[in-house]
Amino acid sequence: MEQNNPKRNSLLIQIILGIVLFAINPALGIIYIIFNLATNKKSFSDKSPNSVFSNFLQKINQLQNTSLTKNSFSQNTQEVSKKSTPSMALNLFNSSDQKIRLQKRKKYLHIALNNTLEEASKILYQLPFSEKFLIEVGTPLIKTYGTGAISQIKSMVPTGTYIVADNKCADLANREVEIMANAGANAATCLGVAPIETINSFIEECEKHDIDSIIDMMNVESSIEVLKKLKKLPNVVMLHRGVDESEFSKEKQIPYHQIKQIKGAYNILVAVAGGDTIKEVQRAVFNDADIVVVWKNFYSSSSDTANLAEMFLKKIQ
Amino acid sequence: MLNKKSKYLQIAFNRSFSEVKNMISLLPASDKIIIEAGTPFIKNYGVGGVSSLNYWWSNKISGPVYIVADLKCMDRGSREVEEMAHAGASAVTCLGLAPIETINEFIKKCGDVGIDSMIDMLNVEFPFEILQKLKKLPNVVVLHRGVDENEKNKEKRIPHEQIHRIKGAYNDVLISVAGGETLRDVIRTFFNDSDIAVVWKSFYQSPRDTAKLAQEFLKLIK
Repeated sequence: MEQNNPKRNSLLIQIILGIVLFAINPALGIIYIIFNLATNKKSFSDKSPNSVFSNFLQKINQLQNTSLTKNSFSQNTQEVSKKSTPSMALNLFNSSDQKIRLQKRKKYLHIALNNTLEEASKILYQLPFSEKFLIEVGTPLIKTYGTGAISQIKSMVPTGTYIVADNKCADLANREVEIMANAGANAATCLGVAPIETINSFIEECEKHDIDSIIDMMNVESSIEVLKKLKKLPNVVMLHRGVDESEFSKEKQIPYHQIKQIKGAYNILVAVAGGDTIKEVQRAVFNDADIVVVWKNFYSSSSDTANLAEMFLKKIQ
Repeated sequence: MLNKKSKYLQIAFNRSFSEVKNMISLLPASDKIIIEAGTPFIKNYGVGGVSSLNYWWSNKISGPVYIVADLKCMDRGSREVEEMAHAGASAVTCLGLAPIETINEFIKKCGDVGIDSMIDMLNVEFPFEILQKLKKLPNVVVLHRGVDENEKNKEKRIPHEQIHRIKGAYNDVLISVAGGETLRDVIRTFFNDSDIAVVWKSFYQSPRDTAKLAQEFLKLIK
């Protein structure tokens, strides 16, 4: 009803205008009436098609929205939360180049780049292409080049490569996750030694930005204890031996036994970091790790790099 | 280098370039004010961020400046220190939660390149025990309550009582306290014998208040 009123008003105005024009000059009045009739007809005949068209536009918009991974993600997470198995989230999406997520029952080789961007480009150049490779932008690279490191490395690899930003968050999780997600990372890391409040907010924020959350258990004695305290599980737990630790005290071991322990209790992916020879990679895979993180050999010589990567691909087939 | 008999106010910056530049221009020019490049700031802008802070602040006070790069180093102690020293940092931080090997390596490297080492005791229950394990003492110990902790868990307190304990046992170490925001917090930190008070939050809520806080701080220590 409200919509009709202005239309009636405009009709009245048009009639009055017509009369006035007639009074001034009959010819002008006739021209005005013909013109008016033509436009009125148009608007009347347009009336229904117009609404059809706007409906059509709306539908297109809806279609676009649903086809976007963002929306499908939120739907998926709803399903997931209904079923209350957070790990399901991993299986559900692997589409769109921006939002690749890790999948279960697959083995990955996680290649950490830590020195300089020039060196990173050399290493990346030698790698065979495989979806099984995760490329990590290491903490030193991030601290030196900032988020520029992530976009630079992204430009060195084929589109659709999974990029991990090893930001090793210890505080201000929401700010850091936002920065890393905006820079185009598919996953970010948080320290297991950080305050529980920080880890919780980190996992929450990662979900919000649709990236995988990795908790780095470096220098954590019992990873299970940390996981128990969390409100929500992360996507990946990374068992870690620091570079300094490995260099200065040789007797510290990668805690392989924890892999089974964690996987038995929680349905999450386990990454093992700290190895750097094919033997150690094999050992980690044998011990049921989903992701093996390597670094040192990837710098020491180019042939080693390609070799290790190829051997890994063969092993896991 | 820091003077042991003086008190310092350290202001941490975590926002975007233009915001930070503007905030620095609001501060009173004084060499008692330490500028910190926050961890998110470093991770966003890298060494370039630290050298810009150095440039802006030294333009403002037209003299030698003290810039802290809050690296929160967790591994590869030596590598990260060198980068930051080149960029113009006067001190860098390492997490007290890091493996002891990393902290040792970090302190050694800081000595080598001639900048101050700060150990950030975020989420460390007994900072004292960490210090006992070290080969060499750091220049500064930061007693810290995380921002996320602060917001989600109100009953956790800044461990003021630790200050005396540490200072009693280790004479040469400066103590920095992070987590307070108001002038009262700052006064309290100094009253408890801390050497440096770190603030950051009030700046984003109202930059002018922090500028005021800085001025009042300067009056206080005169």
